[in-house]
Amino acid sequence: MSKEPQIVIRKAGRDEVDFILSDVELSLANSLRRIMIAEVPTLAIDLVEIQINTSVLADEFIAHRLGLIPLDSEDIDELKYTRDCTCEDHCPKCSVTLELKANCEIDETMNIYSSHFIITSGVGNNLKLGQPIIRDPMRKGILICKLKKHQQLHVKCIAKKGIAKEHAKWSPCSAIGFEYDPYNKLKHTDYWYEESVENEWPKSLNSDWEEPPIPGEKFNYNAKPDKFYINLETTGVLNPNEVFNKGCNELQQKLANVIFELKKLDQQSNTDDNSNINGMDSNINNTHNINQGDDYSNNMGRRTQYGGGGTQYGGGETQYGGGYTQYGGTTQYDDRNRPNRW
Amino acid sequence: MTKAQFRTLERENRFINPPEDKSNFPLLENAVKPHIGSFNALTDDILNLAVKDIGYKTIFDSKDPEKIGPNKLKIRVDSVQIAKPSVPLTDKLSINRNIYPSECRERHSTYKGRLLLKLAWSINDNDEEITEIRDVGQLPIMVQSNRCHLNNLSPNQLVNLREESDELGGYFIVNGIEKLIRMLIVQRRNHPMAIIRPSFGNRGASYSAFGVQLRSVRPDQTSQTNVLHYLNDGNVTFRFSWKKNEYLVPVTLILKALIETSDKEIFDNIVGSDVDNSFLTDRLELLLRTFKNYKLNSNKESVAYLGKKFRIVFNASPDMTDIDVGNEVLNRIVLVHLNDNNDKFKMLCFMIRKLYSLVAGECSPDNPDSTQHQEILLGGFLYGMILKEKIDEYLSNLKLQIQSDINRGIAVNFNDRKYMTRAFSRINENIGQKLQYFLSTGNLVSQSGLDLQQVSGYTVVAEKINFHRFISHFRMVHRGSFFAELKTTTVRKLLPESWGFLCPVHTPDGSPCGLLNHLAHKCEITTENIDTSKIPMQLFKLGVKPNSSSVSIAGQNVCCVQLDGKIIGYCSHKQGKIIADTLRYWKIEDSEKYGIPLSLEIGYVPPSNHGQYPGLYLFGGRSRLIRPVNYLPLNKLDIVGPFEQVFMNIAVIPDEIENNVHSHCEFSPTNILSILANLTPFSDFNQSPRNMYQCQMGKQTMGTPGVALVHRSDNKLYKLQAGQTPIVKANLYDDYGMDNFPNGTNAVVAVISYTGYDMDDAMIINKSTDERGFAYGVVYKVEKIDLSQQRRRNDPITQHFGFGPDETPIEWREKLDEDGLPYIGVHVEEGDPICCYYDEVLGKTKIKTYHSNEPAYIEEVKLLSDDNGNTECQTLSIKYRITRQPLIGDKFSSRHGQKGVCSRKWPQIDMPFSETGIQPDVIINPHAFPSRMTIGMFVESLAGKAGALHGISQDATPWKFSEDDMPADFFGEQLKSAGYNYHGNEPLYSGATGEELRADIYIGVVYYQRLRHMVNDKFQVRSTGPVNSLTMQPVKGRKRHGGIRVGEMERDALIGHGTSFLLQDRLLNCSDYTHTSVCRDCGSLLSTQVSVPRIGGGESIRCRRCSTRIDNKNIGHKSNMIENVDVWEDGTGKRFIGGGNTTTIAIPFVLKYLDSELSAMGISMKYNVEPN
Repeated sequence: MSKEPQIVIRKAGRDEVDFILSDVELSLANSLRRIMIAEVPTLAIDLVEIQINTSVLADEFIAHRLGLIPLDSEDIDELKYTRDCTCEDHCPKCSVTLELKANCEIDETMNIYSSHFIITSGVGNNLKLGQPIIRDPMRKGILICKLKKHQQLHVKCIAKKGIAKEHAKWSPCSAIGFEYDPYNKLKHTDYWYEESVENEWPKSLNSDWEEPPIPGEKFNYNAKPDKFYINLETTGVLNPNEVFNKGCNELQQKLANVIFELKKLDQQSNTDDNSNINGMDSNINNTHNINQGDDYSNNMGRRTQYGGGGTQYGGGETQYGGGYTQYGGTTQYDDRNRPNRW
Repeated sequence: MTKAQFRTLERENRFINPPEDKSNFPLLENAVKPHIGSFNALTDDILNLAVKDIGYKTIFDSKDPEKIGPNKLKIRVDSVQIAKPSVPLTDKLSINRNIYPSECRERHSTYKGRLLLKLAWSINDNDEEITEIRDVGQLPIMVQSNRCHLNNLSPNQLVNLREESDELGGYFIVNGIEKLIRMLIVQRRNHPMAIIRPSFGNRGASYSAFGVQLRSVRPDQTSQTNVLHYLNDGNVTFRFSWKKNEYLVPVTLILKALIETSDKEIFDNIVGSDVDNSFLTDRLELLLRTFKNYKLNSNKESVAYLGKKFRIVFNASPDMTDIDVGNEVLNRIVLVHLNDNNDKFKMLCFMIRKLYSLVAGECSPDNPDSTQHQEILLGGFLYGMILKEKIDEYLSNLKLQIQSDINRGIAVNFNDRKYMTRAFSRINENIGQKLQYFLSTGNLVSQSGLDLQQVSGYTVVAEKINFHRFISHFRMVHRGSFFAELKTTTVRKLLPESWGFLCPVHTPDGSPCGLLNHLAHKCEITTENIDTSKIPMQLFKLGVKPNSSSVSIAGQNVCCVQLDGKIIGYCSHKQGKIIADTLRYWKIEDSEKYGIPLSLEIGYVPPSNHGQYPGLYLFGGRSRLIRPVNYLPLNKLDIVGPFEQVFMNIAVIPDEIENNVHSHCEFSPTNILSILANLTPFSDFNQSPRNMYQCQMGKQTMGTPGVALVHRSDNKLYKLQAGQTPIVKANLYDDYGMDNFPNGTNAVVAVISYTGYDMDDAMIINKSTDERGFAYGVVYKVEKIDLSQQRRRNDPITQHFGFGPDETPIEWREKLDEDGLPYIGVHVEEGDPICCYYDEVLGKTKIKTYHSNEPAYIEEVKLLSDDNGNTECQTLSIKYRITRQPLIGDKFSSRHGQKGVCSRKWPQIDMPFSETGIQPDVIINPHAFPSRMTIGMFVESLAGKAGALHGISQDATPWKFSEDDMPADFFGEQLKSAGYNYHGNEPLYSGATGEELRADIYIGVVYYQRLRHMVNDKFQVRSTGPVNSLTMQPVKGRKRHGGIRVGEMERDALIGHGTSFLLQDRLLNCSDYTHTSVCRDCGSLLSTQVSVPRIGGGESIRCRRCSTRIDNKNIGHKSNMIENVDVWEDGTGKRFIGGGNTTTIAIPFVLKYLDSELSAMGISMKYNVEPN
């Protein structure tokens, strides 16, 4: 690619960032989107030990609700996947334990909120990791269940690291808005209309950021989408910038993985040809597709398919990964002082 | 009308604080009113009228039943009382002696109260009567009736009694199951109906197809059908059935027996002024002339003749004269709705005249399948009819008992109270049990048949699969199982006469289609006796000439005025119309003032050219269908019935009203739909069968059956865990309080052909949606464990719940607590212990195991006692909770008859997404629409999307939009203002590549229902398994782990495909493939056997037939020739030689069976085995 990827941040909030990613291939942009949704590791309650449950809700139903509570995952890197940990079931290195002991002794109905959780065993002295995310003005958190007088709910929850491919509760994103070519200049789609396009298709807000098509303009057959309007909205477990960062890292690792494996293959067949790797380099699209196929098919034996080799390539600082770090933490992305142009 | 709103806080508040005055949903109460009203009427008046009608039983203490004895006993039932349900008298411990319905549901017992009869008898016609109150068993009581403890309680009180806050009642609880008597369509009472029915001709040689039928109903709601038959020679016979036998009587005999009359009077009453009508006069002359053969001249003679003939049939007491019996016949058979013989005479004349008009073609036959000539037999009234008959039987049994005592020479003294009490106690006094049998089986055991056409299928279980199903049970009317077998489909037709009374949409498809209808939601059924006594006076005031005048009231030239089957008088047709209009105006204006009840049906049938027989027919009785409409002249509520509606002009919408044409206007066009049909959003945009399908599927949805589930013990209960209120709902949805029982979930639905997994009505569910709990449900199952089942009554209890002193396996303790009962919440799989008990006789602790192959959790354990509550606990009720998350193969549907099966759970990242990042929860294929034309679903999607975007609830009441005001525009504008495409389309991006899809996609929010048909209940798989011992073929049935039959058609398909190996695999290898030995010489399968193994030689297979027996005789001289090796022995020590030319072949085992069967009939089968 001739140009370097560009990011323009239009709006940044606590749980949301709206930015324009430009000068990248569509495939890369979508890969990022997919990875941010499904493969950024977070923390979520995975095991629930129900000690007492005399509430009206069934055990497994409460467990399901608990699983969906967003937990602060900013320092998730401090935590190992349980499958990579040396312990048998879970240990403080690979899990955070939250406890809740609620006894209703009042005449009215008692509400149990996620803010009532207490972390009983966390990672080291980190008190942040695993805290339930609270966003409501009353600082109560999410309603878990209601208790009547003399009802009790005692649960011990073991939160583990995981990714959303396994279960939606590990997704850091609530939704990712994704748009390109608001004027449909590329004619990828067809704005079907009954009487007039203008009346029936309200203009996308993103169209302000593009040149309107000039009537009678020649259709450019070679044009490709290169400007992506992304609205990243998180569940609160991670800051949006972290989601983006970690997503990029995750993607890098995956690519590195592929290249590493390919190289190993080449070495095995004694045809050490560097041009092969370079070829990969310029065609990320292909690499991604191979990678994806790998994910879905080649993991029969392992417990989960992701990040199997992740620890090996850890920091993303390998020679293969290095070329892509510019989307990382160092770009203007973090610059929140940029005037909000939205 | 209220505007659609969510009212979330209002609802929450109502749940926390149930109202202390009355229910917020009066419409729901109205829905079950016919059931409760009819039951209440029993205790109000019907039962006491019934026992009055039963009358006396007369007993003489002479040995010969034909003779009058020295002493006479006249016994009758004076009154009937039904007590509210309470604990039995033997219970000495209970403080609160009431039994509430929730207890009966939980204990699997019956909600019943004591039935008390006050018997009164007199001896030798003494004026003084001796009375005694007898307890004749426990009668099942209808919940929420006036005999129920829940009657008139506030929602708050109901909740405290462990009921739903809006418990409707209307059903009985029998053995813990909620049962209701379903409503049945019967002929309209007390109105003569002209019928042409070819089967009428089968009664005799000269019988024709013409008849006039009148279903006469007594004040106690029992009925007697009278039919007049036209004979081909012009004669008329009167037919009735009594105790399931038919009797035919010449109508002239009845006429003469009714009153002292002359031939001229009869002639005048039937012919009237139409003396020129030679058709009529000829036949009437014949009618009167043929009667001369009987030589009965006076009224007395006729009555006596009738009495003589029916003496045996009526089992008349010997002290009754023939005249008494004859009068009894007239009272009990002929036009029983009338008291006065003069009225009966006039009515019978009218019927004869109508019959002759029908024969002459002057009037058309009345259609018995039309709602105009129908009414509803209500559960309570049927219950009363059965009760009446059982009380009658009780008295008859008492009579038989006393008579048998007399015959056996036991000293019978009527004056002896002790003897009477003993006689009572020796007959079966449990009438309550008989009614309990009726409710639990639906079978009618009756001597008389109760003038009904069926003997079974009267009751149904009020299934609580979800609230839709539950409520529609109470609105269901059945045409009768007699018609279900009828080959003609005319009875099933939807007729315009049923407009507003029966819902045109809500009927099942398939065999009960059109026979099982549902009442329109505003339709009611009268259950109260209304006061019609002032009406005749008003009629006379309006110019009706009274009945008593000598001029005939028959004939089509005059307008005959009848009130509930009684002829009041006559007037001219012109006058009739005015009278009808005036009556209607009066009853609406001020029904109190004029004494004309509002629900009076004023059926004015105008004279017409060969149309319906004219007249002014007024109806005020019970069991009529009625519905509200707006009376335009006064702009006030009018109640109309199906008889009058046919001749009225009712505009559907105000725009339609034409001057001097319409007298009425509907309050709302949705009044014609049933409760369920009203809940289908935008049903006016759908192709009509789809709305029918939705009515069916709404009832099969896994929804919310109720809130007080803890206090129920239904065998199987489905519950959707996180139901939602639909964004798009009809206003009536709120009025019926459906939000208390949500039935589905709002889902983002994209109409797109995306992966190929959405072909053929399959639907794709977003995996993340599923993981977040979309359509998650549970099934509750209840198992009753009864230790006393094997124990005989009064035997000591030898089995006790809990662990015994003996040693038990340690694994049991994982599931069972100290008390031998399972822990609440414990996970059980097949074979796990669910409870243990100590058997004293065996000295061992035993367990009961969990039987289903589906794992479950223990939800509840209930300890049940017997009715007295003073014995050791022997019964448990265990409720299991089976989790049912949506699986591939589970069935879902929208509210538009669009059902589909989940085919994949597609990963979220691969699902298409919109510019705002919204991904569909559900993907359906666009091919589901063109042929089904469920435009309503598109509109719902559009409305749902707009509602979700603006945070508003959308009204989906049908017929709110029009051609000028289209929903697409209304919701399109809303979408546009939210920045979305006007038509609900959006450009979607492929989840896999991120590329924009070539076409824009229709995506919106649709309410989805999860249906109760789930793969977990249906999947059937087998590799090897149990086989039938006779044929060795796999058994059938999922429960028995059987196979699925490859039938003839499947076989044909395989042959057609040429897949012969597959065919052999299915039909032989995987079925009854066997190796068997056959004799090559004689070709028999059956004569081969295995020889007894010999030392060194081993066993061999020999043909017994082809071998020679070696007995002691021939062993002597042949022994040298026989080599010892060839000799073989069968199992019984007999020795043979030869028969060794056998081989083993593969055959289907049934072949051997066939061979055996054939050989039993003397047919031998021979098999040629090749190659040799």
